[in-house]
Order: sequence, then C-alpha cells, then structure tokens
Amino acid sequence: MRFLMITGRTVNQGVTVENKTSVDYAEETSTCFMHGFDMLDLGLDEGDTVLVTGPCGTVVMRVSASSEVELGTVFVPYGPYANHIIDADTHSTGMPDFKSHAVEIEPTDEEPKMVHKLMEDLGGLAYDR
Amino acid sequence: MIVKDVVCPFCGCLCDDIEVEVEGNRVVAVANACELGATKLTGERRMKNPILRDGDAWKDISYDEAIRYASDMLLSAERPLLYGWSGTHGEAQCVGVHMAELVRGVIDNTSSVCHGPSILAIQEVGHPGCTLGVVKNRADLVIYWGSNPIDAHPRHLSRYTYYADGFFLENAFRDRKVIVVDIRKTETANVADEFMQIQPGGDYAVLSALRAIVRGRAESIPQTVAGVTREQLIRVANLCKEAKFGAVYFGLGLTMTQGKYKNIRNAIELVTELNRHTKFTISAMRGHYNVYGSNEVNTWMTGYPFGIDFSRGIAFYNPGETTAVDILARKECDAALIVGSDPAAHFPRRCLEHLADIPVVQLDPYPNATTAFCNVQIPVAVTGIDAEGTAYRMDGVPIRTRKIFSTEYPSDEEVLSRMYALMQEDG
Repeated sequence: MRFLMITGRTVNQGVTVENKTSVDYAEETSTCFMHGFDMLDLGLDEGDTVLVTGPCGTVVMRVSASSEVELGTVFVPYGPYANHIIDADTHSTGMPDFKSHAVEIEPTDEEPKMVHKLMEDLGGLAYDR
Repeated sequence: MIVKDVVCPFCGCLCDDIEVEVEGNRVVAVANACELGATKLTGERRMKNPILRDGDAWKDISYDEAIRYASDMLLSAERPLLYGWSGTHGEAQCVGVHMAELVRGVIDNTSSVCHGPSILAIQEVGHPGCTLGVVKNRADLVIYWGSNPIDAHPRHLSRYTYYADGFFLENAFRDRKVIVVDIRKTETANVADEFMQIQPGGDYAVLSALRAIVRGRAESIPQTVAGVTREQLIRVANLCKEAKFGAVYFGLGLTMTQGKYKNIRNAIELVTELNRHTKFTISAMRGHYNVYGSNEVNTWMTGYPFGIDFSRGIAFYNPGETTAVDILARKECDAALIVGSDPAAHFPRRCLEHLADIPVVQLDPYPNATTAFCNVQIPVAVTGIDAEGTAYRMDGVPIRTRKIFSTEYPSDEEVLSRMYALMQEDG
C-alpha cells in the first residue's frame, strides 16, 4: 500500500538522541505511526513489523496506531531508519525531501535492525554495541 | 552542590533558568528543565578516550595522536568537508572557519538540513522578527506553523507564549490566542484555540489564500484550499488582523516539504501584508541549541550563513552545490571533519555510503551513528556541562553557557585550536 512518509521530532526521539546506541533510540526511530484504519487494511496489529520501501531501498519498522496521522500518511521520528530509504536529492536547495516521500508499506516477518547494524550494512563499523 | 541559572544546551530555546544538583562530576538532579534538557544534562555513557579504526577493530589512542591524525587528514585532502557545528560553542565554530579557509575546504552546518531554506527566504525578502521577550510581553496572537513545540521545544509555550505572563497583557493566558497550522493533529494542536489542518504539501496554497484575504480579496478564494475551508481561512485571517501583536513561529513543516524556501518566503510576505493592519512578526523555531550561532559566526566571518566553499581561495556560497548532503551524495569530498552533529543518523543513505569510503574524524562526547564511519573519534567536553562558551538563542540573542563542573575532557575549542596550530605549522 502506498503512503506519504513524514519525518519529525518526538519527545522520545529527543530524549534518546544523545544515546544513539541504545535500544530505546532504535525503538523510537524505527516506529512507523499509522492511522488505525490503514493498519486494519494491511491486517496489522500494534507492534507488528512492516517493510517500508522508499526511493533508495527498504527498511523494516514497527507500526504503532496514531490518531495524529491522517489516512494514507505515516509519521516516522527523525533518525537512521527513515533516512535509510530517503533520497538525497535536494532540488538545489541543500535540503532533501524529509517530509514528503512516497513509500510502499507491506507486512513482514522480519525484525527491525539495530542502528549499528544499519550502519554496518552501509560500510561502517559498529562501536559500543 | 546546587548550581542555579544553568543554561540548557539542548534546543534553540536555551532556557537559562535551570537548576542542577551536582555530585562530583555528575548531574544527579535537574529542576525547571524539560525532559529533553534534563536527559541531556544528566547524560552518561561518554566515550572515554579517542579511538582509531584499525581494520575491523577499534583501538584507543591519545589525544595527541588523534589531533595529529585529523590535522594530517585535512591537510592532505583535496576537497575536505567540515560539517556540523550546531552542537558546539561559537568560539569553536570560529576555529572551524579558519581551518576551512586554510585547507580550502567546504564548511557547512546543520542548518542546511534544518532552517537553511528559511535563511534562503530571508535573503530574498528579509526577516521581520523580534526577540522572544517581545513576544512574551506583547503578543496576543501566536501562530505555530509546521512546528510542534510540545515535542521539539517543550518550554517554548510556557516561557514565551501560551502559558507565559506578559507585561503588557492583563491576563495573558486568557488574552493570548494560539493558532496551530499543521498536517497532523499534534499535541500542540490539541491545546490550541484554533487548529487549521492542511493537506500535505498545501502550505504554499494556504499562505497565498490568507494573503489574498488580508488584501481584501476573500471573494476569490474557493470553498476549500488544501483541505481548509474558506470560512476557516477568513476566520484565521480576521484573528490575525484583529490582533494587537501577532507572532508566527514556523518549523520544519515548511522547510522540509516541497516548495521549501518558497513556503517561507510566502509566510514572510503574509506577515508583511499583516503589518499593513497591525504589528506582526515571524521567526524560525531553531533546533540545535547553537545552530543560530553557527549561522551568525559563519556570516560575520565569511559573509555567508552555511555551505561555504573556500576552494577558490575566497568564500563562495551556493546552497544545493556547496551544502553537505549534495557534496556527499555527489561523492565529491575526500575527507570529512564532523563536529557537534551526527550526519549518519540524519542524512540520507547515499551520503553515508560516501562517508564509508573516505577518512572521517569526529569530535563528539558520545558514541553515535557517525562513529561507525569514523577513522578517528575524539571525545570532548559537553558545552554547557563541562565546557563553557557562547551560544545564540533561536531569536539571535547570544547567551554564555556555563560550565557546571570540570572534567578531564578538552573542549571542542581546545581540540580544534590544537589541530589548527598543527595545520598552520605543517600547511
């Protein structure tokens, strides 16, 4: 199913942002907030995992029902999970489209990776895992 | 020991009324701060010493070795990128600009992925802004547009707007109205007097509609504009015109969506229209505690606020070309110095793939996502906790952050100054 993905700040993202190797940061930034009716359409329960496909690849997130988002829209806290699939094009402004990406979302049995694993997939080396 | 009037080094509010209780070199209790500030002030799990990537392992190295590595890396690079700077003090930012000029590199700060588009709009049409104190004491109407302060700047409402007393308002809480404009019904929208929910990507159209109404052209507005009814648009425009003093605070909901700086330009021009009827101001909700300072320091040293390229021997500025995301995505830089930010967590993956291919040195107190891409990371003192220095609040007011206690960690300025001295000797 196609959605508009918006990223943004949450309190929990801000609280864990200085501790990016933590489970709490990984959990918060890999949460995909979705309207309850869209979750019904996809056959998802709270906490189920989804495969999110953007213009630059795929990433696994965990869904959470939210009354803040509209149908057809998902909200993901700023962080490495959303950025794993966001395109780097800035349209000559310096700023990527962090709040206006079309993504495909489908249920999956995979689990979200930890932040260090995402970084290692891109050629990094984890420290303090 | 209780330390009063501590300045919180988290967001652009730079709250300066924090009280902390210190035991040894740990903050054990925090009063007055929001959850974000309190967590930062009590932060632990710092990196203990500089580290060097050695194949598939990390090894501890000395500060002298780490600083020498960084100096050599920057001097031998053809197109180094010096990025970050919003999470450190102005004095360190100054040294960064000198270093960039010496090595003819590109220096960019986090505003390029934050309020850079706002600055582009301000460069086009100006900035009718004011300090937070003016808004606190005078504004009877506050509009949060594409910003959610309850999550991102939790004390903005209580210190400066909705819940704050105002010197020129008899009963500020009753007399002051708050309007929230957003695509989501956020926590801030829930407390607002009026919530105008727009369809994603509809900001420009809604701003244009409000401008038309304020200009007396309400009859030209269709029944709905980007999901907002004509009646609500007219009601909001009237609330603005009837206010004695209005203030717009806009967030990344305008800068990160399509249209980017054109959205901000339209918002500024709406405020210009409103100033034909009453007093109105507009300002950005700046994120990092000193991102405003990075724009200030860069501007008074180079003439430009971010994305400055010294490869020609002079300062050159062209956002979209000389900004960090573009330079990394084009695989253009051949070394990167990261200070006071975490691009691996906040940049698109194509940028990270290039970071993995080039030497990277990072100054940061904590292991973070960028650590994985570092050849060397140098832990430093945290400005506002064990280092002091100047930061600029979101309204451009410089505030000296305080050192609450001393540690063995050097400040960003000390490490960068030593690096720069070596570069001057060898360069």
